[in-house]
Amino acid sequence: MSGMRLPKHKKMSMHKLNTYLKPKKVYIPNVSIKNTKFSINDKVLMGDVLGLDSRGNKIHSSVSGVVVDFIKVNDIPYIVIKNDLKEKNNFKENDYSSMTKEEFVNTLKENSIVGMGGAGFPTYIKYQAEEINTLIINSVECEPFITSDYSLFMKYTKEVLDTVSDIMRINNIKDSIVAVKENNTSLIKRINSYISKYENIKLYLVKDKYPAGWERRLIKEVKGVTYDRLPIEKKIVVNNVSTIYQIGLSLKQSIPLIERVVTFTGDGIKRPCNVEVKVGTKVSDVLETLGVYKDTIIIENGPMMGKRSNEDLIVTPTLNCVLVLKEKEHERLNVCLRCGKCAEVCPAGLCPVMIKDNIMDIEELKKLYPEKCVECGLCSYVCPSKINVREYIREAKEKVK
Amino acid sequence: MGPFIKSENSTNKMMSRVIIALFPIIIFSFYKNGILCYDGNNIYTLFKPLIIIGFSTLCTFLFETIYLYLTKDKKLIDLIRDNYSYMPGLFLGLILPINTPLPIIMVGAFISVFIGKVLFGGFGENIFNPALIGRLFIITMYALTISDFGGYLNTSELDSIASATPLSNASLVEGIGTYEELVQPYGSLKYFALGFIPGCLGETSKVLIILAFIYLTLTKTIKWRIPVFYVSTVFLSTLGIGLINGVGLWYPLFQVLSGGLLFGAVFMATDPVTSPVTKKGQIIYGLCLGILTVTLRYLTSYPEAVLTSILTMNMLVYLIDDMVIEREYKKRKIILPIILLILSLIGITYYIGNKFTKASIDTNYEIVSKEEKGSTTTYVVTQVGYSSKLKLEIVIKDDKVVSIEYLEANDSFFNKIIDNKYNETLINNQDDLKNCDTVSGATISSTAVKKAIINTLKDHRGEK
Repeated sequence: MSGMRLPKHKKMSMHKLNTYLKPKKVYIPNVSIKNTKFSINDKVLMGDVLGLDSRGNKIHSSVSGVVVDFIKVNDIPYIVIKNDLKEKNNFKENDYSSMTKEEFVNTLKENSIVGMGGAGFPTYIKYQAEEINTLIINSVECEPFITSDYSLFMKYTKEVLDTVSDIMRINNIKDSIVAVKENNTSLIKRINSYISKYENIKLYLVKDKYPAGWERRLIKEVKGVTYDRLPIEKKIVVNNVSTIYQIGLSLKQSIPLIERVVTFTGDGIKRPCNVEVKVGTKVSDVLETLGVYKDTIIIENGPMMGKRSNEDLIVTPTLNCVLVLKEKEHERLNVCLRCGKCAEVCPAGLCPVMIKDNIMDIEELKKLYPEKCVECGLCSYVCPSKINVREYIREAKEKVK
Repeated sequence: MGPFIKSENSTNKMMSRVIIALFPIIIFSFYKNGILCYDGNNIYTLFKPLIIIGFSTLCTFLFETIYLYLTKDKKLIDLIRDNYSYMPGLFLGLILPINTPLPIIMVGAFISVFIGKVLFGGFGENIFNPALIGRLFIITMYALTISDFGGYLNTSELDSIASATPLSNASLVEGIGTYEELVQPYGSLKYFALGFIPGCLGETSKVLIILAFIYLTLTKTIKWRIPVFYVSTVFLSTLGIGLINGVGLWYPLFQVLSGGLLFGAVFMATDPVTSPVTKKGQIIYGLCLGILTVTLRYLTSYPEAVLTSILTMNMLVYLIDDMVIEREYKKRKIILPIILLILSLIGITYYIGNKFTKASIDTNYEIVSKEEKGSTTTYVVTQVGYSSKLKLEIVIKDDKVVSIEYLEANDSFFNKIIDNKYNETLINNQDDLKNCDTVSGATISSTAVKKAIINTLKDHRGEK
């Protein structure tokens, strides 16, 4: 299978899970005076719906306290809430033993459960399908440095497996597969000590080749099937393991997605670790407690698919990693050698070097399927001439639209 | 803008690995063509292989760097680091005969740089393998000059029995040849593998080339599919040709271990700039190279089958990549062209194999005139020699050759044949000409004279 083994850099953060659950203030994005009923000095409960985003999904407050400001940073509006540290809420214990499928979908929608592996796709949409035969729990976490799913699954193994069981019962799903990388020995051991108690939940070990966690590739490896646009065509649903855990919280106590585990790592952090944080926490506050070296850059999400960020970065439901790296010398850029390594590693089967050659010719570009690119970054990673090949494919994607 | 980690690999490292892979081959060529030939007097003879390789490398490096410095607006150090101008020269030196005079090497290096690289746009843009362009020019213009200086043979080989490269020897053998005719003059297949046979500086040691291939493939430096499919195609085809003619495994091994096939397959055909980028394209490229080489080696009498094959396929690289992309786009299977290629390979193998069993007429032989007077017949015949066509007058009286005269004999070193009174030897041994010795130092020419007599006798006796 195409793809490539990457250096992992996971040991530095793997075994540490801390908490930073008492931020002084939280900054909830996409809430402004126009789309919320709250105004300055209003009291807010943890879990309260602050408003709706542009797609109609609910936005919740992650703490209880008082609204103190509305700001705008980089064109994104934020509501600023001062935390009273009391965590006052309206959560209630649910009896979901006889929950119907429709109620399940509604619960996910009301609690704004989205894909926490990075994509942020609203999870309830996946479960609206008539028939689901297989549920795949994606705990592969193939990007280097990130250990957020790992540490969550290690801590809440029983809760996750219980939730999978519940999901299967409510949605009439025949079997589930937990997908883990074959070299993740501590996680495999832990899952194995629990999984035998669950009928119809199996463990599958995937090969350690980035991007093993890419949905399309994962389904091909685990179930041996391909699909056209969405996995549901083959009656398969894939969920990230952290998303499963959050589904569990929403089922048991109607807790919305207001907290997550974020990996703070990189050679630029003095004490790398995983941290349970509230949505809306300012990343720079957490970094202050962990200690950061000088002359470093901050990256949002992983080293392959993430992007450059700065001190204004806020924790959102899809932030799985804050990567702080020491500034490195720029590598020498050279002419394309036509070595073909980019074509060899592309997991989507594209030929990036030919896309780069034909970047001016839209007719030729169409034959090269740039829209299939998942932007995993392997082409840029592997290029010996240090060309940022992925940028050409992004440009090609725009051109063929 | 990511990715924020990059692989350890770099163009520099890849080029360094190629040089590391070439290092044992260079040392071996120094040993075989320098140390073994050293007569204790002429220090130049000792270091000649290293001088040739070094000079060639230096020439391409200087030519391209000076050109770029004068025409591009970049710092000299950047031009040197980014263009790898020494590479074509390094390869060129390794694919030249030991006796190539240095001025000719300089001309070849000049052509390599300016026609092989600069003309097409410099590093990364060239269509043809620059080293092969240089060699093609040298061989085309200066083959006779080089052969005057000794050709492919170093001084220690000139004195030994086998004094022609294995492939030129094979072209003179009738039919498909036997182990005794093709391999034994050089010892055994072991000598072919180790490299103690006549040939270009870097091409002879097959063992070292295979080791280099393994190293470069494990370090993911070269497009390994190309040499694998190229050499396998030639091996399987020659195996088929051999089987049709009843010769054993030694025959395909002989074919694969002769000439510039292994060096060309591992170092020239895998040049990243001039070979396909797609995986399937590389497979097709290797297959086509194999088919072309086999066709050129058997169906033509021209030398340099490997060089011609690679340069021809260089032209078609874009076509191959485009075809692979088109077929994927139209969702057609790529296996279809591959099956077509394999079928044509089988067809060519079958055709060539049967050509040997049918042909027993020597096409290098021609009767110019034949005069019969009673029991005496005077033949004037021509036979292709080493570097020219020999014209002989052969008089047969009472079914026995009585005189052999050389009317035209412009082969280099033919004087040895005259000095050794070879015509007398042949007349005395005319009942067992096949086993008659050749003149050392002029093997091919003397074999040609021998064949002229054999063919003439056949014609006289009405044999076919």
